[in-house]
Amino acid sequence: MLLDFNRLGALRYFLLAFTGLVLLFLILPIVFIAALSFGSSQWLIFPPPSWTLKWYQELFSDPRWLYTALTSLKIAAIVTVLSVVLGFLASLGLNRGEFAGREQLRALFLTPMILPVIVLAVALYALFLRLGLAGTTVGFVIAHLLVALPFSIISISNALEGFDRSIEDAAILCGASPWEARIKITVPSIRHGLFTAAVFSFLASWDEVVLAIFMSSPTLQTLPVKIWTTLRQDLTPVVAAVSTILVALTFLLIFVPLVFRKRQKDD
Amino acid sequence: MASSISTGRAGGPGARKRLSGPLAYVAPALVLIALFFIVPVLMLLVRSFLEPTPGLENYATLFGSTTYLNVFSNTFLVAFIVTAVSVVIGFPVAWALAILPKRWSMFLLAVIVLSMWTNLLARTYAWMVLLQRTGVINKTLMSLGLIDSPLSLVNNITGVSIGMVYIMLPFIILPLMGVIASIDASVLRAAALCGANKWQSFVRVLLPLSLPGITAGALMIFVMSLGYFVTPALLGGASSMMLAELIAQLVQSLVKWGLGGAAAFVLLAVTLGLYFLQLRYLDAYKGR
Repeated sequence: MLLDFNRLGALRYFLLAFTGLVLLFLILPIVFIAALSFGSSQWLIFPPPSWTLKWYQELFSDPRWLYTALTSLKIAAIVTVLSVVLGFLASLGLNRGEFAGREQLRALFLTPMILPVIVLAVALYALFLRLGLAGTTVGFVIAHLLVALPFSIISISNALEGFDRSIEDAAILCGASPWEARIKITVPSIRHGLFTAAVFSFLASWDEVVLAIFMSSPTLQTLPVKIWTTLRQDLTPVVAAVSTILVALTFLLIFVPLVFRKRQKDD
Repeated sequence: MASSISTGRAGGPGARKRLSGPLAYVAPALVLIALFFIVPVLMLLVRSFLEPTPGLENYATLFGSTTYLNVFSNTFLVAFIVTAVSVVIGFPVAWALAILPKRWSMFLLAVIVLSMWTNLLARTYAWMVLLQRTGVINKTLMSLGLIDSPLSLVNNITGVSIGMVYIMLPFIILPLMGVIASIDASVLRAAALCGANKWQSFVRVLLPLSLPGITAGALMIFVMSLGYFVTPALLGGASSMMLAELIAQLVQSLVKWGLGGAAAFVLLAVTLGLYFLQLRYLDAYKGR
């Protein structure tokens, strides 16, 4: 009875212990970095000799960290809006249009997600050098939009699949124009899909590093690029402080909406 | 991956009005993809045949020098190690998650998702610190008396493999969990009734039925590993250079666009080839 947990016998202790170990393997390095960010050792000795906030002070007293974080935020915000709008339109076309090559087109839209990012990064870098877009915000936004859009199209397409279109048709029968019906009926009905698309698009841009390394210039860097260039020099505990803040933000961004949604459902 | 999202319903009930001009809706995204994805990738490939002189010279250089061949062998070796280790570690976890009481599996899933969405650089940094000569792992092993001098766990293939397994594990656990959860438990009950012991049920029933999940996850990890850049660049060293790092170096530091383009083309061809293999395998499996 290998698929019935209660009837696995001794095997279930092995499975539980093994799973526990793997999850520790997944979570401990993150906890470890958080602990080190409060440790006083410059050489990242563990356990730390004493506790301190000096790495956070150093982080916040250096305007470059804050500046790159704001750059990341700005780019991710623009990418999120464009990705959700383009993703919504493309999903409508893909889900409701009937035309030859529709599935091939859908596959094409998802390709940037499966191709090695380095190929896209080098290719875009070459093009942007010619167009004068290398090291510009526009260049960053285009690059990140390419990797965010597949997430958006998947989330919104799935939401549209589950949406009963006759409600939209009813609104049109009652006199709404097609776009009025879409915005007032369809958009609110698939808001979870749109929200998921927005979160994934934001994270895809915010965390993206390979394209960003090629798109950046000495004056225009995102936070991941700043971490990358810092790490190439030394393993300063300041990076532990940045990492800890990023982990905390991810945690909030992923789990707060989950809990919130669960509450809504329970109500 | 295209198969993970279902296709639109073919012709709804009754005479439903078709969307007028569906191409107008996909046009903005299509223009973006065409101008900034298809065109630049094709341009790069063309350059690999034209620069510095027209011909196949770049490919001859790439496959003719031991330096570059070493990079290829490193790349495939790491991808293979990472895939094999991830499958072996991931299978029992996916199995446990599929059959644990829901309350537990939800909590464990949350841990996996949090790890997966933690910033890649933060996770790689953690391993840079953990694996260094004076890091916790070496210190612990030494204080336990298991080793006399620190092991070199970083700036080599060992470091790259550990860091990449850490990143790739969720990509086998999550799909495999779904596949195992959807296996009909009565098939295993039947195997037990027919006298199969646990080992026989595992090898002859559970494992073959999980095979689509294992293959899909393993191929995905292998393909992702082949083109991975950040973790190998930070946890690896000069002797363990992988393909993505080589491409970046050829283009950024050495400004050899032709050779860099050729290396990118090789990576692209292998990736697409494996991807189509996976699609065909999935089709064949579904068609059975």
